[in-house]
Parts: sequence; structure tokens; C-alpha cells
Amino acid sequence: MIPDSIVHLLQTGVSVMVGTRDASLMPECTRAWGIQVGADRESVTLFLSEAIGGKTLENLRNNGKIAVTCTRPTDHITCQLKGQVRSIKPATSANREMSRRWHREFRAELSAIGVPSTLSEAWIIEPTVAVQISVSDVFDQTPGPGAGKKIGQ
Amino acid sequence: MNETSFQLEDLWACFQGIVPAALSTCAADGTPNITFISQIHYVDSAHVAISFQFFNKTHRNIRENPFACAVALDPRTFHAYRFRLRFDHSESTGPLFEAMSLQLQAVASYSGMTDVFRLLAADVYEVLGVERLEGFTRLPTPNTSERSSRLFVDAGLVSLRLIAERLNKALLLDEVLESSLQLLEEQFGFQHSIILLADDQNAKLLTIASHGYPENGVGSEVGMGEGLIGMVARARRTLYLSAMDHGLRYARAVRDRAEAEGRTEAIAREIPLPGLPDAGSQIAVPLVTRGRLIGVLAVESKDPLAFLTRENTLLTTIGSHLATAIDQLSRETDEAPMERTGRQAPRSPSQSGSTRRFTFFQKDDCICVDGDYLIRNIPARILWRLLKQYRDEGRVEFTNRELRMDSWLGLPEVKDNLETRLILLRRRLEQKCPDVRLVQRSRGRFALETDRAIDLCEKEG
Repeated sequence: MIPDSIVHLLQTGVSVMVGTRDASLMPECTRAWGIQVGADRESVTLFLSEAIGGKTLENLRNNGKIAVTCTRPTDHITCQLKGQVRSIKPATSANREMSRRWHREFRAELSAIGVPSTLSEAWIIEPTVAVQISVSDVFDQTPGPGAGKKIGQ
Repeated sequence: MNETSFQLEDLWACFQGIVPAALSTCAADGTPNITFISQIHYVDSAHVAISFQFFNKTHRNIRENPFACAVALDPRTFHAYRFRLRFDHSESTGPLFEAMSLQLQAVASYSGMTDVFRLLAADVYEVLGVERLEGFTRLPTPNTSERSSRLFVDAGLVSLRLIAERLNKALLLDEVLESSLQLLEEQFGFQHSIILLADDQNAKLLTIASHGYPENGVGSEVGMGEGLIGMVARARRTLYLSAMDHGLRYARAVRDRAEAEGRTEAIAREIPLPGLPDAGSQIAVPLVTRGRLIGVLAVESKDPLAFLTRENTLLTTIGSHLATAIDQLSRETDEAPMERTGRQAPRSPSQSGSTRRFTFFQKDDCICVDGDYLIRNIPARILWRLLKQYRDEGRVEFTNRELRMDSWLGLPEVKDNLETRLILLRRRLEQKCPDVRLVQRSRGRFALETDRAIDLCEKEG
């Protein structure tokens, strides 16, 4: 179960970064256009685009291993989720609507810390796939000595 | 994508820590890890550094599997760049570490967290490739002409800083003189240089240090207003002569020949100024501090275009630092405690059969060694006093203070330039009589070392 505090965090405008690796353990990194906690609270769905995440999707199709970090710009509250891919599906209109909602929240967060809205509005938020992940571990990653501590479960 | 088509310098805006970056690594068991990092630090065109503050998964992973991948944003447009990295090494001392550590502490001090946020190491990564994430933003990429010249410092400026720091650290005058000329060669490739100090009473400049000449020429003199060096001393402005006139070289060659063959008494008692017979260009920089002329730094080269506006600026700046350092260290002659290091038992004389004969000519106020002119005036009297005390009392250790008390030496009461005179004496001995040495023990203390027996003789004429 993803703890309440993390569910609440992930429902706000967090920055979402994805880490994967290929067969030779070469790490890869890309940005996701939003995250949604599953109804079962055991999974999350990420919205990715082939354009900026081609290698990430290839890695996920090959081995399914994934790490996701999410941080909230206004207070740096950060977590890392680790897990395994459950499914990779073409993004639906519901997914795209979810992604747009996330983008609005994220833009609000960024403008609250002084980022000009012209920058965050110019992003091409066009997710092509929805990747569902079984979350096995959740870590606190808020900067500081407690970073890296496993939470919940 | 645009793999490796970027120079790290073009991505300068990504390295300012304005927007956090993400770094992914992978454990040996294949578990990926991803974390936000506050800043990717530019190290050089092939390396970046990432701060290591806490023992965490990234730290462990890169030691198991050195590869990493980072995504950073250009804060001007939010273009994203992906860096493929390989962990190279960790630094916990040195300039990179210190700069990163100080920055972190300054940030931490705002929140009273200096104990919590402490840099353990600067982890340096080799950059294997960089790509821009296309299809990320609709904004055009910033023009590379926006590359900030404020971030990448001209190599000359880096050298300048290094020299200024070294001059600032030096505690002994001799160290300032020697290291400055050495650094001019190391940092700028100027192989032939001299430093002359102003002798206000005699309206002359006296060579105190040289670099890159077969004879050190220390003690040689230039009159105020005489030649490039003398003119620069009088005008107190840097001047360079490019593609040096044939006539100048001709005049110098004639003088050299006269010295080599003439050997008249007048010339024999004059030390030749160090100079390249085939110099193509020369630059002379006045050493001025608080409006007072301390001396002149002169550099020459076989290249007729070695000194232009840039070199003028660099050397003039070095000249100010040098002037201040020389002035300050010539004044501060307080004795420092004895240093243990470098202390040697006096060598026993007569290791070698022959005897060195020193002759003091009272009328000319000068000393010859084995018939060759060595030195005159106050430095000559200093040497004579030391040699006599060595012969009569067996003394080998001396202090600046006792020399100041000795009225026979004729040191002026104010601004006696004793340290400079000792350096002059030391260098003349190195040149003319290397088996008798003045070895500095610490500030204000020195020793007389001899490898041979010494014979002293005084003459009136």
C-alpha cells in the first residue's frame, strides 16, 4: 500500500522523473507527463511520450524495472517509488485529460516558485503511452539526512 | 537525436543549479534508482561533478556500476538535455571540492543547517554524450551566442589569478622574486625575464633576479631613463618594443663584444645586464605601489610579436602584485623562529684543496674573489663582516638584526633594504663563488656555508 502521505503528494503538481536501465545495466532517465495513483493503492500510472522517452519505453518493455521520483517544487517534499511494469498501453483520452490536469497543477507549483509561465506552458504535453507499475517500495527522498529511508508497508 | 553534438560549454545555463536535475543509476542487481540533484557542476569540457552529501543509493550504485544518466533543464527556455555519464573519481580536497563545499555551506547557513549539509566529496563524472530531448518544448533553442563569457574564464585570467595567489602567499622576498619569474615561464611561456629594483639614491635600477639567462646578472645596473627599462622606470608606464630594431641589437652586440674582449678595469667591475643577443621583442613593466616606484619587470623574447596589448595588460597586472609583494616583504624583516627544516650542520671547510681568496678594496668599496669582481658597496661590506666573523670567531649563523646594529655597514636608518641587499649578495655568490653560500634559515636569519677554506685580504686601493 502506498502510504496516505505519498498518495496526497502524488495528487499535487509534482515533477516526475523516471529511471530505467537496459540489459547491460546502462541507466536511462526521462521526464513523465504526470502520475496517477491506482485505485488499489498498490500501483501508479505514468504518462510518457515516445518522443522524449523512447529508450525508457524500450527498457520497460524489455525488463520492466523502474524507479520514479516525484518532488513538489514549492516545498521539496520528495519520494521515490520502485517497482515493476504491469502494462504499457496507448494513452487514452482519459489519460490525456489526467495528464493535462497534472500539467495545470505543476504549472501552478512552478509559477509559485517564480518560473515564468511561458516556459512551462510551452512544454509539449502529449503522452502517447500509459505505463502502469506495481509499486514494491516507497522511499522518502526529501533532501536531508533522512533521504533514502523506506516508508510505509 | 543530437547525441554528442553539444559542447558542455554551450550548456552553461544548465550548470547553474537554477532548476534541479535528475540522476539515474543502476545497482549491480539491476535495480534502477533515480534522484533529484540540486546542481550539475561544470568541471571542464569533458567532466561534470555532482555533490555527495549523504551516503545514499546513488553513492553505492556508482561504485558497483559507474554509469549514470542525468536530465537537466536549461532555465532560460526549459529545453531538456540528457547526459550520459561515467563515474570517474571522487575529490575530497582541492579547489573543486572547496568551491562546491563553500557554496553548500553558504546555502546551509541560511537555514542554520551547516552541520547537516556538509559536502563529503565532489563526485566527478566523465561525460560520454549529451543529447537534447526533441519534442519537449515549443520554444526555440537559445542562440549559442548567448553562451555566457562570464562563466568560462580566459586562460590568461586563470594564470593571472594563480600568480596573484602565489605572490600573495609567499612569505619571503626571495620566494616572490624567484617564483614570479618561474611562473611567467610556466603560465605564459616567457622564458627570459629579470626584475630590477629602484635605487633612488643613485638614480639607478639594480638587477635582483633573473630567469632564463646563462649568467644571472644580479647586481647589474641600469640608469634611470636609460634604454627601455630606464625609460619605463621614469615614465612609470609599461612599454613594449615589437620587432626590435636592428640598431638596438647591434648596440647590444657591440657592448657584449667590448665586455668579452676589452676587460678594461672599468668594464671588469661592471656586471653585464642579462639580455638575449637575438631578442626580437622586449617589454618592461614598472613596479609601482602606492605611487612609489619599486623597480621594473623586464621580459624579452626571440619572437618579434611576443608582446602585444594582451601581454601588456597581463604583465602590468602582475607588476602591481609583484610591486606590492616586494615592497611589503622588504619592510617586514622581523625575525621568525628558527626553522628546523633545511637546517644543516656547517660543512667543514677544506673539503676541496684550493682556498678562496677574497680581497676587499677599501677605496672602491668592493670585493673581488680570486681576482674577479664580486660585489660593491653595502652588500660588499656585509659580506666582509660575515667572512671576518667566520674566520675570527667561527660563526656561521647570523641575523638581520645584528647587521642593522653595525654602523660600519652604512645601512640607512629608514628603509634600509637589507633583505634586498642580502638577496643580491646571495645571488652574486651563486654566480661567482658557488662554494660560499648564504642560506636563508627563516625570515631575518641566515647561515654562511662554505665548502672551501677562505682567505681574506684587505687593500687600500
